[in-house]
Amino acid sequence: MQLLERLVNLVALLLDARTPYTFDDIKERMAEAYEQDEVGSAKRMFERDKDILRDIGVPIEVVPTDVWESEVGYVIPKDRYYLPEISFTPEEISALFVAAHSGRADRSAEDAFRKLLSGSEGGILAGVAGIPVSPEGETPEARLTAAAEAVAGRRSVRFSYRTARGETSDRHVDAFGLVVRGGHWYLVGRDRDRDDVRAFRLSRLSSDLDDAGEGSDPPEGFRAADHVQVGPWGPGEPRERAKVAFSPEVAWWATNGVLGAETVATREDGWVEVLVPTGPGEGLASWVLSFGPDAVALEPDELRSEIVRRLEATLGSL
Amino acid sequence: MPERLQRLLVIVPYLVQHPGTELAEVTRLFGVDEDELTRDLGLLFISGLPPYSPGDLIDVDIEGGRVWIRMADYFARPLRLTRSEALALYLRGTELSATPGVTEAPALDSALRKLREGLGPETLGELGERVQAAPGGRSAETLETVRRAVARIETLRIEYYAQSSAETTEREIDPEEVFFAIGNWYVATFDHRSGEERLFRVDRIRSVAATGASFEPRGIAGAGRPLYTQTDRDVAVRLRLRPGARWVAEYYEVTSEEELEDGSLQVTLPTARLEWVERLVLRLSGEVEVVEPEVLKDRVRDLARRTREPYG
Repeated sequence: MQLLERLVNLVALLLDARTPYTFDDIKERMAEAYEQDEVGSAKRMFERDKDILRDIGVPIEVVPTDVWESEVGYVIPKDRYYLPEISFTPEEISALFVAAHSGRADRSAEDAFRKLLSGSEGGILAGVAGIPVSPEGETPEARLTAAAEAVAGRRSVRFSYRTARGETSDRHVDAFGLVVRGGHWYLVGRDRDRDDVRAFRLSRLSSDLDDAGEGSDPPEGFRAADHVQVGPWGPGEPRERAKVAFSPEVAWWATNGVLGAETVATREDGWVEVLVPTGPGEGLASWVLSFGPDAVALEPDELRSEIVRRLEATLGSL
Repeated sequence: MPERLQRLLVIVPYLVQHPGTELAEVTRLFGVDEDELTRDLGLLFISGLPPYSPGDLIDVDIEGGRVWIRMADYFARPLRLTRSEALALYLRGTELSATPGVTEAPALDSALRKLREGLGPETLGELGERVQAAPGGRSAETLETVRRAVARIETLRIEYYAQSSAETTEREIDPEEVFFAIGNWYVATFDHRSGEERLFRVDRIRSVAATGASFEPRGIAGAGRPLYTQTDRDVAVRLRLRPGARWVAEYYEVTSEEELEDGSLQVTLPTARLEWVERLVLRLSGEVEVVEPEVLKDRVRDLARRTREPYG
């Protein structure tokens, strides 16, 4: 009898059973499958089958079959085997399909999706295609999963990290949260050596995440997303707004993708005045400068003088 | 072998619940080819419960390209998701939902919530609060139209603002694949204007119009290819990046990197146009030094003066 057939029959037998079966019970019912000259080798065969099944996630439990625990039985608890019923709308199923097929090498997400399919309506996925997402080619799925596990278990982790400025150092971090923004994943947590909450882009890790024991709880009201840069103004929520004028050539583009940007006036020459969220740091000046003469900062004065200072610096360095 | 078993334990429940599904749909949904599928289903045929008499075996019918499975009530529901499967789908779903401009986001969010609640605390636990999506990256109003044109294999007419030349041009494109990379949406196309394969950033498409024409796909794939393709018209730009400008080496395609003693990084950046490099230098101000070409220095000087002018 083929191995695959034997395994299917074994799962069917244990799922159908009302009480745990001892190995003798199983051998009696699946005589052809475990037909061996010697009892020991049949048992070894069964043990191997059991291991294969456990490896693919079939929960086979071993329970005593009498009060003296002299004999054990095998059982697949139905609540641990069967996927609970989760009913998805056709829109939800196609959204999950797109996500599961969003172009990474790892197959786990696709396997998960396929299991969820059984309760859905058939035929709804005709014409639905995945969207390739190349998040950060260099972040292995395993590292993302490790970070998620650290966050789920409130663990502390050690890793080596290279900052945007090119400096590499070892970090010891209590994992608080995981944030995704614009295709990049960030681990947010308390950096123990710096005693401060920091965000670490997973693609900048130059080592694996090593578990370093129990972590700590984040402060009351903590939101991991607040610690990841969200706009040209720098990390966190914007505090003020700056006024910038854009030439007609770039105005539509400059305002389109910026969160919270608001057009306040369109001049006769086609230039557009826009309020953009701003915060501490030099992010906004850099952003305005990247438009060259197509953008002029109007307010506040600090932004204007920062831009002028930087332009003078550039002129002086050439 | 474990893979085949694993697959069967997922396909069979689907077929029990969807009697008469087309083989072609099964192969597509479960990523298995038809020969393998019929071989595995053939094996089921002789499986079942003791005493394995005809009435105890699983009943598999394949007729007219469709499949029916009966007598397999114990396989009516699939196996639970393993923790790593659940995590992988949950994380990938969260990532896609956080990607700007994805119209599936609301449906995806509610699906992920159902998944989290349905699987119970032992599978996805506290991750609902601890894994978050932060808004960011550029959305693109034209994305939906472009995605639709890819699906329908239709030529588009676009107005495109090229950052490389700081110019807006009109062109016709055959869009073949839309993909998301380092914070932006791209579309891989055959560009009629240049007569070449070109990548366009979707957020820089100012307007898009259907032409009604369809095209023969050339198999142009976007994801995974370098975002910048070298040409023989390229100039080698050499820049010295101080710490605050090092991200340039990660973000753009550089052909050489050299650590200098003063802690800066010297990179070579091949480019067909200088316009975007001028603006990059302006943006980096004190954090970058132009080494060559000489003409870039002149152009940055000119650009800085023109940018400085309105400030009086």
